[in-house]
Amino acid sequence: MSPKRFTLDPVDWSAWMPAVQAETATPIQREALANSPSATSEYFLTLAHDVESLAERSPLFHATMYVPRGLRRAERELATVVVSIINGCVYCSSVHARRFVELTKRPEIIRALYDEGLDTKLEPRLRAVVDFAAKLTRSPMAMTTADLQPLRDVGMSDLEIHDLVNAVAMFANANRLMQTLGEPVVGEPA
Amino acid sequence: MIDPSPPDLLAAIIGASAGSPIDRIRRERPDIVRHTQGSHDVLLSPQDPGGVSPAERALIAWRVASLSGHAGIAAHYRAMLDQRDKALVDAVPDARLATILDHVVRLTTAPGSATRAHIDALRATGLTERDIVAVSQLVAFVAYQVRAAAGLALLVQDPAA
Repeated sequence: MSPKRFTLDPVDWSAWMPAVQAETATPIQREALANSPSATSEYFLTLAHDVESLAERSPLFHATMYVPRGLRRAERELATVVVSIINGCVYCSSVHARRFVELTKRPEIIRALYDEGLDTKLEPRLRAVVDFAAKLTRSPMAMTTADLQPLRDVGMSDLEIHDLVNAVAMFANANRLMQTLGEPVVGEPA
Repeated sequence: MIDPSPPDLLAAIIGASAGSPIDRIRRERPDIVRHTQGSHDVLLSPQDPGGVSPAERALIAWRVASLSGHAGIAAHYRAMLDQRDKALVDAVPDARLATILDHVVRLTTAPGSATRAHIDALRATGLTERDIVAVSQLVAFVAYQVRAAAGLALLVQDPAA
């Protein structure tokens, strides 16, 4: 297996099977696609083969990442980048690292995570997010109530911790779909 | 023993009783609660199961939960499997089912190691595109469910003062 090259550049994705064609999608597929993050991406057109599950997953994904109040959006994005690095999902990490940078204007945090690893030095609140996301991803059954303390020490409410748990869990899901139905296509330098 | 088909399975698994602090938090996130349950329902009991039978779906989910070490979720799917086709629990899988279960283990334990050849092998057993997506969604859903349950259980055991 080639080494994973995580990036802040946009990455494409190519399915390992024919995707649903937008022109021939059924009305139910069109509706599920319209409620997905992108109705025209090859990824969602592939998931549209099983339209019942896509129609549930897209609103679940949307609520997890974008529901107002609770955990800051940038911290949800950061958590999903951590999960994607651990699971090796180059595509997912690119998309959500760029969302984090859009929200925070702090690409240096992502570069440090990519280049130096998850142990890189971070401010306490981000450190707490990274550590919790990493452990819940790698060893969910080893989690104990002691793992809540670093989050509470930096001032997180239980609503915020709830949102963090769900963002991490959602990317256990996303990374498994992305990496087993197709592959990232990283642009070649011109 | 929990209700075999509770209306909010995750709440039953983590022991979130009505009116508890975690219950109140989850009520602030109704779409997450609704579509977590909805994903479970359409993946385990779809209107049209296509080429992956309801019993096989329960077997796959049981396998993912067991590999993940979540006893409560594994027990839920094992009970579902026992009800749908008890013989499948100990049956030696045929080539088709063995290929599916190999893929299930790979997605669960090493999702970064899947290749196009694995998808081609599934197609060669007669699975359609829809069946392959459904199997992937099912494995990915249980991976989600295990982490959501493991994380939210902490807030049941030790809610903020």
